[in-house]
Amino acid sequence: MKNLQRAGLALLAVGLAAVPFVASDTLVQFGINALLVATLTQGWNIIGGFTGYPSFGNSVFYGLGTYGTAIAMAQLHLPFGVGLVAGGVLGVAFALLFGIPILRLRGPYFAIATLGLAAVMSAIVATIGFAGKNIGLILPLFRGDTLFYELSLVLLVAATGTVAWLARSRFGAGLVAIREDEDAAQVMGINTTMYKVGALALAAFFSSLAGGIHAYWITFIDPGSAFDPTLNVRMVIMTLFGGPGTIFGPVLGSFVLSAVSEVLASKVSTVASLFYGFVIVLAVVFMPKGLLDLFQGFRHSGFRYFAQNMRRFRL
Amino acid sequence: MTAPIFEVKGLTKKFRGLTALSDVTFQVAPGEILGLIGPNGAGKTTLISLISGTLLPTAGEIHFEGRRIDGLPAFKRARLGIGRTFQVMKPFPGLSVLENVTVGALFGATEGQEKKRAKARELARELLEFTGLTRHAEQRADQLGGPDRKRLEFAKALALHPKLLLLDEVMAGLNHVEVDEVVALIRKIRDRKVTILVIEHVMKAIRNLSDRLLVIHHGQQIAQGKVDEVLADQRVVEAYLGKRRQ
Ligand SMILES: Nc1ncnc2c1ncn2[C@@H]1O[C@H](COP(=O)(O)OP(=O)(O)OP(=O)(O)O)[C@@H](O)[C@H]1O
Ligand SMILES: [Mg+2]
Repeated sequence: MKNLQRAGLALLAVGLAAVPFVASDTLVQFGINALLVATLTQGWNIIGGFTGYPSFGNSVFYGLGTYGTAIAMAQLHLPFGVGLVAGGVLGVAFALLFGIPILRLRGPYFAIATLGLAAVMSAIVATIGFAGKNIGLILPLFRGDTLFYELSLVLLVAATGTVAWLARSRFGAGLVAIREDEDAAQVMGINTTMYKVGALALAAFFSSLAGGIHAYWITFIDPGSAFDPTLNVRMVIMTLFGGPGTIFGPVLGSFVLSAVSEVLASKVSTVASLFYGFVIVLAVVFMPKGLLDLFQGFRHSGFRYFAQNMRRFRL
Repeated sequence: MTAPIFEVKGLTKKFRGLTALSDVTFQVAPGEILGLIGPNGAGKTTLISLISGTLLPTAGEIHFEGRRIDGLPAFKRARLGIGRTFQVMKPFPGLSVLENVTVGALFGATEGQEKKRAKARELARELLEFTGLTRHAEQRADQLGGPDRKRLEFAKALALHPKLLLLDEVMAGLNHVEVDEVVALIRKIRDRKVTILVIEHVMKAIRNLSDRLLVIHHGQQIAQGKVDEVLADQRVVEAYLGKRRQ
């Protein structure tokens, strides 16, 4: 069974890697976006799903990765690889610096404290000449969707591999304990501060690299698109939709939602904007534990699964 | 008395205006069971929180195995071997009973011993057996009944390999039979050479268990010593009867 699963996953990865060689340009471009968003979602899963800290600051990590890469390439004329590292360092440094004070807050207080971060960062960046003020930066043009696609896929696989490690490691057990009850975690010997900051830094790492790849691919960035709070909202919804605290749920959730919203957007745009709102309400009421749990529960008890959920969570 | 494993000197805790604990001083010998009693709001839970590190004292010192620990964060004290239960129980609700206990084994006092999950799970299974929870191992913690939740608090605290165990009203809400079971469990734990500080309102149990008693009233330490002597003390009787007959 385990080997079968492994073989299936390997096959899936190979299949995904083959997409740019067989699919249309539009599909590949959709794929790059979907892979990067899935990586962001997986990053949110680490701090939100595993550790239980509902961060709205993850779009800042993404934005810093974007700007780190863009400044290195557009202003300092450094190669892409160096730019990516610069973006990653910026994102992780921010997580370490701000994580320590902000992670002292719990639950809704933490969420509110992180809520304003993206707007503040966007305003700050818009005043820095070196970062292109509010006009933004243009990166050197590089046409190579296949490369961007494969790079995004590698990043997603790395993020998912990290989450798989969390699910079986001592570190991951500590994060889950913090999510379940932080006071109890403390008196059981868990260095909660270090663990929380570590989780945030991991999330920042993957988010800022996704930002860096996206910046070079799209070749133009500005404060508004780099520090976009709605991007963070999507990470939250996709994680919750797929199954927070699981290995594959967030990836599945973001693939499904990316695809559905793409289809809707091409038909009627007003419907697309309402779409996420509906998803939140439906997901919370009918499957508060996400898609993965839905599949397992549905196999087990059919439509009664929904009724059980409503009873279990007193909805 | 042999050299104390644990010692508190002039411990004081103020919550803004309110003095919850004032100048408390006592020692505990290795392997001893010290009973801590006092009316509601006396400051008992506050004392346990100060010792375990979830609260920091306003003044005073705490020494454990000859080392001053009142400045250490809670997780370090846990790793030194101080385990506690919570009066308002704090299981990891979404995890199975086995996983709950495994966490303690992964992070507890035996550095480097149980860092592998499989090893920690093995130890956790032993503790489930010890506390009578084996048949609930795979159940979610928030689906346990009251008495089993208390057992889970025990098992989690024991997974740390504590040398000092702080028990906060682990018998509240239990019937006679269940109380007797818990008393037997605490004795079994003491037989493992664990020193125990136990807060309890159930008088019969505390009388049975304790080697010595410490009485707190309005944050003041009003009596300390042999069980019978303390219970006969005039101030203790007044503190209790004054409260009970309202
Ligand atoms: N975090 C806190 N902030 C402010 N006041 C507190 C806090 N914790 C406890 N107190 C107050 O300190 C006093 C002692 O409380 P504590 O919980 O230690 O009493 P207790 O002896 O454990 O009582 P009980 O038998 O009811 O459990 C009470 O007056 C309580 O209201
Ligand atoms: Mg109390």
